[in-house]
Amino acid sequence: MLGVVRIFVLLALLPLISFGQKECTLTLSGRVYDAATKSGLPLATIYVIGERKGAEADENGSFKINSFCPGSYKVVCAFVSYKADTLQIELSNNSIHDFFLTPIASEMNEVVVTADREKEHVIATQLTGQINETDLARIRGSTLGETLKQIPGVYSLQTGPTISKPVIHGLYSNRVLILNNGVRLEGQQWGNEHAPEIDPFIATRLSVIKGAASIRYGSDAIGGVILVDPPSLRRNPGINGEMNLVGATNGRMGAISGILNGAFDKRLKGLSWRAQGTFRRGGNARTSNYFLENTGFSETNFSSTIGYKKERFGGEIYFSQFDTKLGIFTGTHAETLADVIAAIQRPTPITPSYFSYSIDRPYQTVKHDMVKISAYYTAPRGGRLDFVGARQQNERSEYDYVPLSGALNPELFLRIISHTADLIWTQRNVGHFSGNVGGSFITQGNVREFQFLIPNFRNYGGGVFVIEKWTKDKLTIEAGARFDYRWLRVYTLDSNTVKEITPTYHFSNPVGTVGASYRVNDRFTITGNFGTAWKAPTVNELFSYGVHQSAASFEIGNKDLVPEQSYNLTASLLYDNSRVHLQLEGYSNVINHYTFLKPALQYIHTIRGAFPAFTYTQVNATYRGADANLSYNLTPKLSLFSKTALLFAYNETLHDYLVLVPPQRFENGFKFELGKWGNVSECYFSASHMYVARQNRVPPNSDYAPPPPGYYLINATIGCNVHVAKQTVSFNLGATNLLNAAYRDYLNRFRYFCDDLGRNITLRMRILF
Amino acid sequence: MKKIHQNSVTLMLLLSALLFYSCNKSEQTIAPIIANEALTTIQLQLTNVSNAADVQTPQWEQLLDNKGNPLPADTSKAILNLAANSTYNCSLLIYDKTQNPPTNVSEEIYNRRNYHLEYYQPTPISPSNLIISNTSTDIPGTPTSATGPYLNLVVTRTDLDTNNPPLQVGLSTQFVTGAASTGRLRVVQRHQPNAKNGTYAPGSSDFDVNFTVNIK
Repeated sequence: MLGVVRIFVLLALLPLISFGQKECTLTLSGRVYDAATKSGLPLATIYVIGERKGAEADENGSFKINSFCPGSYKVVCAFVSYKADTLQIELSNNSIHDFFLTPIASEMNEVVVTADREKEHVIATQLTGQINETDLARIRGSTLGETLKQIPGVYSLQTGPTISKPVIHGLYSNRVLILNNGVRLEGQQWGNEHAPEIDPFIATRLSVIKGAASIRYGSDAIGGVILVDPPSLRRNPGINGEMNLVGATNGRMGAISGILNGAFDKRLKGLSWRAQGTFRRGGNARTSNYFLENTGFSETNFSSTIGYKKERFGGEIYFSQFDTKLGIFTGTHAETLADVIAAIQRPTPITPSYFSYSIDRPYQTVKHDMVKISAYYTAPRGGRLDFVGARQQNERSEYDYVPLSGALNPELFLRIISHTADLIWTQRNVGHFSGNVGGSFITQGNVREFQFLIPNFRNYGGGVFVIEKWTKDKLTIEAGARFDYRWLRVYTLDSNTVKEITPTYHFSNPVGTVGASYRVNDRFTITGNFGTAWKAPTVNELFSYGVHQSAASFEIGNKDLVPEQSYNLTASLLYDNSRVHLQLEGYSNVINHYTFLKPALQYIHTIRGAFPAFTYTQVNATYRGADANLSYNLTPKLSLFSKTALLFAYNETLHDYLVLVPPQRFENGFKFELGKWGNVSECYFSASHMYVARQNRVPPNSDYAPPPPGYYLINATIGCNVHVAKQTVSFNLGATNLLNAAYRDYLNRFRYFCDDLGRNITLRMRILF
Repeated sequence: MKKIHQNSVTLMLLLSALLFYSCNKSEQTIAPIIANEALTTIQLQLTNVSNAADVQTPQWEQLLDNKGNPLPADTSKAILNLAANSTYNCSLLIYDKTQNPPTNVSEEIYNRRNYHLEYYQPTPISPSNLIISNTSTDIPGTPTSATGPYLNLVVTRTDLDTNNPPLQVGLSTQFVTGAASTGRLRVVQRHQPNAKNGTYAPGSSDFDVNFTVNIK
């Protein structure tokens, strides 16, 4: 009587867990019912706590979970908009148990799995990483760049405590693509001091594709792609919501974020909405011994969605706005080479040390608006058509010191407006084949005012791709191809004749991917992928000519740059049993025409003195490395974890190292489940030791100071959930740099001027209603 | 049913088409370049206190192109000829020649003298004569010469700002020459918002230029 069993995968590449040692062939089966109507609940989720075992109920609500060893288990059955039911069961024979779930007003956010087919990974054989909902809830309050550091292989490039950009396998800026709710985030991401304009509070999950993902997303996905996904809109009629409160001692930071989800009934059935908003405010950050003057920030974001969903088709309109003001540490006011050298030689900055929330010049303001329209249609015989169209407007102003005119204007203003459209056809599964074919289009217009940093430009780009997957038994093979075209026209004045000139560029590039994944047995899966990717030259690489403020360098663009081409070979090994989870990944990324700033070994003299000149040059570079993520259940309550990221980059053309390559990193820790008392449950305590090595692989003449020494940090968190009436409130108290160590990080530009952050204790509260 | 969804899809496509028709061509209008803190010309105006006809006006200049980037510097007039064993009163004049007529920046600096400080460093100088203090125009870290010959020039600031207690500024100075000698004079303007304390270290340099000095 049992229907077809569907085994559901928790993380992208995790196979079913099974025990290895004894005869473990017991089964637990049954049916999930709505307690009121007694009808079966299809697609309800049943999972076993502490084991990575689970199943999804079929269209009748029936389920079956295999391969139990005799023993005691805690099984949870859950479904969106229903109260979860927990079963404590002793298994010594095959057993049958039916679950009866009662509906409630609030979404069950404790359920880690999401049964949403729309979010399946499009490239199945590439390296991926994820921060799921539970883990994300435990680190709320940071910027996107800071939050992603949890994933081995992902680092962050910082400009002080408030500006952080994600780095995947050593690559960043225009080599990492960020998808904000399915739309390419387009701003001035070429800048090392330009952080992504995304509110991590909109996301229920953060995923990372570590590798050549141009096949699906086009130009710029050489290092990888970061996907920021909000949860699906509510479907059951009613309203629910979530409120997050965060307070942190360092910078006396506070953040408040709220979400309201609603769905209509009766005549408006199928119509859902969401409203979300976040406010964050912080003052001067503190290193282990002193405050950093003018490092406060203020951020206000909101987003709203309206969606309509019917059986075969649906659509959504989404608006969002991200607005931030970031203070820049006054101790970085080094306009000349002599000032940078003097700052490097001082053990502590000479700026006054005090706390304040005020943000004065110098500071940055960024405003990013997005409107997105998406629609889908499912064909009667299978297959699905998806359309996503978006318009983004990014305005960035930089306010520097004003010694002369005292004007209220910024020193620099850039506005870029991007329109994108994507159309994708996901074919119905035919035999063992599945796949999709699609096309994307982009156009952008950039306008500058005040200082000249990058010129005005207009670009158009288009791409078409096809990705096919063949799955049979234990083997999956995937292949894809894509062709992209980009047209760029720059509007600027000729330096000599003062006449308007419009240099125009065309770039076109095919990319391909081929990969395979083989599930050797229930515990062990190996995956390999070879993919190519490309990146068009960015306007700053082509047209820079001037002093880079606070970098005390004179940067010179190169109008003859060609697109970067990357060839990335990746392999991963996944091992899972009841006690051990091991993810081992290796990659070798060869990038031709890799563009970087090469020291020209000469000085450009300005009224401020001599500045070393750097020119944008192209070489062949390789980025090779390995990431490992291991967790071991020492006892059912105590698990140990270890994360390692190794990276070796090399400039093959010049037989030299490259700048700003993240050094080796090792994090080891443990997590202890503390159990429950009365209304308090899911209590845990976790602590970790993170060691970042000194980067010794650096080229000469490329930096003003040698890389800082290696350092280690101790972090710890304690948290639990409190159930009050129908609400669940999650608390956690976390400490980073618990020992208040003084350290400097090689990937933080402020390392010339000051130490990194001292101890920070954060209290987080999450209320579901 | 089919008609409804067809209409919905059409509506969606129409709405998105609307998004695209809001394209404008604003990038084709190039906004003028307003360079950050353009300073192009540093002039010293010295008058011999005992000989009003002896007026020296050396000038260091580096003009900018239409994007605010530096053209080669013109140091042909950056030569200061002074009489030996004399005293000169000196005014520092700063101009922005990217504007037409040129802006007199020294007036703006004077209005903001509470966070600006001028340094005048003659070289070669002996170690005992390199004085680092709140009232000296010497720059820390200047290389000294153990033997001679030295440039026999001492510069002192003669103006004060309105800080509490008042600190020197250096837009008005006095040059005292000794025996005939040659050397260089480095002139640096330090910009020290909220941080001026009489020392060189805080803030950053707005300009850092050199003059050749001949004392005869």
